[in-house]
Amino acid sequence: MVSWQTRTAKLLSRLTIRQSLKRELSVADMRERIQAMERFFPNVPDDIRIEHEPGLNHCDAEWLTPGAGPTERVILHLPGGAFMTRFMRAERLLLARMCRATNARGRLVFYRLAPENPYPAGLDDCLEAYQQILDLGTPPEHLVISGMSAGGCLALAVLLKARDLGLPMPAGALLMSPAADMTEESTDGSRVSNAARDAVLSLERGDDIRRLYLGEHIELANHPYISPVLADYTGLPPLFFQVSGSEILLDDSHRCAQRARACGVSAEIEVWDRMPHGWQALSFAPESGRAIARLADFIRERCP
Amino acid sequence: MSIQTSEKSSNRGQTFMRTLRQDHAGLSRIMREIDTQAHRLAEDSEGARAILVDAFRYLLRYHHAFHHPREDRLFARIRARDEALDQTLQQLSHEHETGEQETRRLAEDLARASNKELVGECGAELVDRINDYLRHTRTHMRHEETVFYSRAEQVLSDEDWLDIIADDGPDDPITDIRTMRASYPALARSLDEPTSHLGLHRPEHSSSHELRLQMLALTDLYGGLMHEAIDLTRTHFQRLKSVRDPVSLMRTAGTIYADNLRFAGQCVTRPSRWAINTGAGLIVGWLKPYMKQ
Ligand SMILES: [Fe+2]
Ligand SMILES: [Fe+2]
Repeated sequence: MVSWQTRTAKLLSRLTIRQSLKRELSVADMRERIQAMERFFPNVPDDIRIEHEPGLNHCDAEWLTPGAGPTERVILHLPGGAFMTRFMRAERLLLARMCRATNARGRLVFYRLAPENPYPAGLDDCLEAYQQILDLGTPPEHLVISGMSAGGCLALAVLLKARDLGLPMPAGALLMSPAADMTEESTDGSRVSNAARDAVLSLERGDDIRRLYLGEHIELANHPYISPVLADYTGLPPLFFQVSGSEILLDDSHRCAQRARACGVSAEIEVWDRMPHGWQALSFAPESGRAIARLADFIRERCP
Repeated sequence: MSIQTSEKSSNRGQTFMRTLRQDHAGLSRIMREIDTQAHRLAEDSEGARAILVDAFRYLLRYHHAFHHPREDRLFARIRARDEALDQTLQQLSHEHETGEQETRRLAEDLARASNKELVGECGAELVDRINDYLRHTRTHMRHEETVFYSRAEQVLSDEDWLDIIADDGPDDPITDIRTMRASYPALARSLDEPTSHLGLHRPEHSSSHELRLQMLALTDLYGGLMHEAIDLTRTHFQRLKSVRDPVSLMRTAGTIYADNLRFAGQCVTRPSRWAINTGAGLIVGWLKPYMKQ
């Protein structure tokens, strides 16, 4: 049974976010609308301390520390938003709730956005944040990387690039509906079968997103850092996907997990029935609490 | 010689604390599984019950039999060394007792209930109790992590560690899939599944699925109209702001009137088109099985 809070959120996002994605809106308009919507998200609770230092070279980032004696765990979280926008307050609150549930410190990275800063600027920022956490002395076995939507794609890309650079791998990765297929062929499967059911996303402007994110590197759409559905997952840590059965990005998770398993990497998928994309961030909905409790279970499993 | 002994026992301390952390890792995996199955109880009562009963038995035989006694021994020592923690640790030990009682009750009630009871009100009550149990256990683990995980090694002496570790019991069987398969077959099978479905998965009747899709399309349609109305109002407002004289006012009023008329037309034609298409689609859908016969 889907809760009334989630049903309401689905209806509202169908009437607002999904409509905005269907229409010819400029990126600036999109950001403005998101900022207006964000007013409805509550602040981070008082027991979570927010600090900015040490920072990153090219973008804003925050450290979130829960009041009740944090452990050595660190969650590096990469927000979503089609590489061009972001729900800052919602993602901050999501990370705060994950930190609280696991007594972990959180690192929230507001990586540079397209189209002003196309690929690889965002990925570079995320990788810098990852490297910084290791440089500050966090043992990789206490580090978990997490990402929502486009952030999920970046989380996978950070893992792949860190592995290619010979950096140590974290203890695990949380991938909430990652958008992991930017190839031009990404027009079948759940992207078609769930096109009407998805309450948030619409791919009518998928080409624009690809073009704006990749800028002059459009030929790289099939690169594994951009479309991790095509990647070789050898050497990656255990992956944990949460995705809704009714979203267009459902197959991205399945395909990544299948490839990961084929490479001998543990990859679990949770398919949630009739949830809207990004429901984990809906702090007022019971399904969000349940999803976060399960993400926290995974973190404790991987970072004991 | 004494330095060597001290190193050995502090190593022992570290190993002991690692075991406790590892126990929490296993416990967290089981919490996730219990959560999955509790929500499937009404849908697949027989399958979910077998897994849940296995899970609660595993908790009784390992966590309540070995993990909590380990912690209780540790708490007793820390309380003797650090009075400030006395009350909190007493509370945690008390939760071990109440937790064990509830685990036993849940295992028994689940095993005893008929399939019919699991689907009905009794099942819903059980699910509520399981949810409470999950919430308490997770909070308990979180408290333990903040209260003693980092402090134990600071306050305890070599003697303490020797005493605590004296009778340590086996490792968590969850780390050995063969043991799990032999002792808790239903649970082991479920833990092995790489994909879990959360929420009800009753297959929907194709006509009601089709109707739901059409209703979503209607919502999208009205959503689109709503945005167009907002855009139109904004444009009207801009136009009116730029009016300078009576002539331009007349011209603007004419444009606004024409735009509004066009938009009103869309408000009528688009939903009508939806109704005709949907109606035709649904009728064809309903007739299909008869036409085949
Ligand atoms: Fe305990
Ligand atoms: Fe414990």
